[in-house]
Amino acid sequence: MTATLPPAAPVPTARWLLEPQVGLCACAPSGRRRKGTYVTRTIDAAAGVVRAALFAEDAAAQPGLLQRLDARVKLVTLLGLLVAVSLVQQIPVLVVAYAATLVLAVLSKLPLGAFVRRVWLAIPLFTGIVVLPATLNLITKGHVVVPLGSWFGHRVGMTAPGLTGAARIVLRVATSVSVAVLLTTTTRWTRLLAALRALLVPRMFVLVLGVAYRYLFHLLGSVTDMYEARRARTVGAEDGRSGRAFVAASAGALFGKSHQLAEEVHQAMVARGYVGDARTLSAFRLRALDVAWIAVAVVAAGALVGLDRGL
Amino acid sequence: MPSEPLLEVHDLHYAYLGRFPALAGVSLTVEAGEKLALLGANGCGKSTLLKVLDGLLFPDAGTYRAFGAEITETGLEDEQRNRGFRSRIGFIFQNSDAQVFSPTVREEVAFGPLTMGLDAAEVEARVHDTLAMLNIAPLAERAPYQLSGGEKKRVAIASVLAMNPEVLLFDEPTAALDPRTQGWLIELIVELNAAGKTIVLATHDLDTLPLLADRAVVFGEDHRLAATGPPDELLADHDLLLITNLALRRR
Repeated sequence: MTATLPPAAPVPTARWLLEPQVGLCACAPSGRRRKGTYVTRTIDAAAGVVRAALFAEDAAAQPGLLQRLDARVKLVTLLGLLVAVSLVQQIPVLVVAYAATLVLAVLSKLPLGAFVRRVWLAIPLFTGIVVLPATLNLITKGHVVVPLGSWFGHRVGMTAPGLTGAARIVLRVATSVSVAVLLTTTTRWTRLLAALRALLVPRMFVLVLGVAYRYLFHLLGSVTDMYEARRARTVGAEDGRSGRAFVAASAGALFGKSHQLAEEVHQAMVARGYVGDARTLSAFRLRALDVAWIAVAVVAAGALVGLDRGL
Repeated sequence: MPSEPLLEVHDLHYAYLGRFPALAGVSLTVEAGEKLALLGANGCGKSTLLKVLDGLLFPDAGTYRAFGAEITETGLEDEQRNRGFRSRIGFIFQNSDAQVFSPTVREEVAFGPLTMGLDAAEVEARVHDTLAMLNIAPLAERAPYQLSGGEKKRVAIASVLAMNPEVLLFDEPTAALDPRTQGWLIELIVELNAAGKTIVLATHDLDTLPLLADRAVVFGEDHRLAATGPPDELLADHDLLLITNLALRRR
């Protein structure tokens, strides 16, 4: 922006600024310590997002099985496997499918512990909480195998059909999430976007996804900078209320910044000839490994569904 | 009959949000092959003028002619005219973060040539040559958020050079760069100008001015042009530099 302040008459520097000031407590520690507020933890989590992205970039650069496949082949075949998993009803078949994702993780040189944690620590647990009520005899009738007590004179407990249904859903979600994690950690983000284009996902949608991912890091950097600038000027402990006020104020400032940045990004695109139709550099190369993988994926999907129907 | 200037603005007025004036009656010509510097303090309208010259902002009043035709918002809606104009004039933004928006450096450099409608083989060749020329080939598959400020600047310049425009607009090209990168950039600008490119750059870096420009125009804080002339003459006029907030008053 270009608002210019009018030339001001010289104002002498305030006297207190030119005089030394006794430090508030440049002395021994008091022994009182204060842990970081939730704002600190939130900002640290922002750094965690960047770490996770770097982990994914490193994993995608490994010379593993899935990394060697063309992204479009990988996307289509893993989507096919996802559909197959969603059709499977039998728990043993789901266990086999989940075990297969672990084998793929190993063949793709992903750290198995981190892979399993990523899947089990978040989504299936939440899914478990969601399906928990359905295990009770109040909702799913059947033989109570885990009695929990009584409620208004009724015996309450988990039924065998309820537990089976819950296990089926949790296993299916865990397998599906594992497939999605395999896809996203073994494929560079740019290749994944190109693969989406190959699947005829609208160009504008893919472009917006790409730009959003790119500027996520920029905005996270801005958040961290704003917080660090504040922390550098905060003398003494910080309470939760002032932390919340800071979050509210910085959200507004960040919105303003992101709006300004969005305008500049759009201008930079227009300056280079963008008129609403982005083109990308991408060449589709189907190699022997890709063909072999397609065959394996088709057979595996068919086997999963066939085995499920046969059991 | 004298030939028409390459770029010509006449009595330009522009105000942000209709309230904050940025240009208040600016007239200027840019001749083919010259290096012109727009000098001025922060907020005097240099960046706004560059955006008008690049057809990104359109004046509230006044006219802008480029390559023999008047540039207007409705005129640039015509695809052929838009493509012709955009391929002849390139803009390197001050904020490289805004300019480097693609997922990888390679795609960033390819963006402009692809929008120009060049075939894939030529785009690949241009990307390859430009990355090599700016010494950023090892960064080709890197994401922009993994780059340093100087690397981002190189990528931003590469993304425009790959389009091979006749006119290059630079907004504060040497700002926030380390001395080695500054030196490299100055040499590049001089080399591009020697190859026939017209250069227009906005700066308030007086130290590098004689290297970067054959002619300079000085913006006053009233958003009008205060003076024009060779850099050496303008730099010698201490009163002018004081009035336009480009030099410190000696104590």
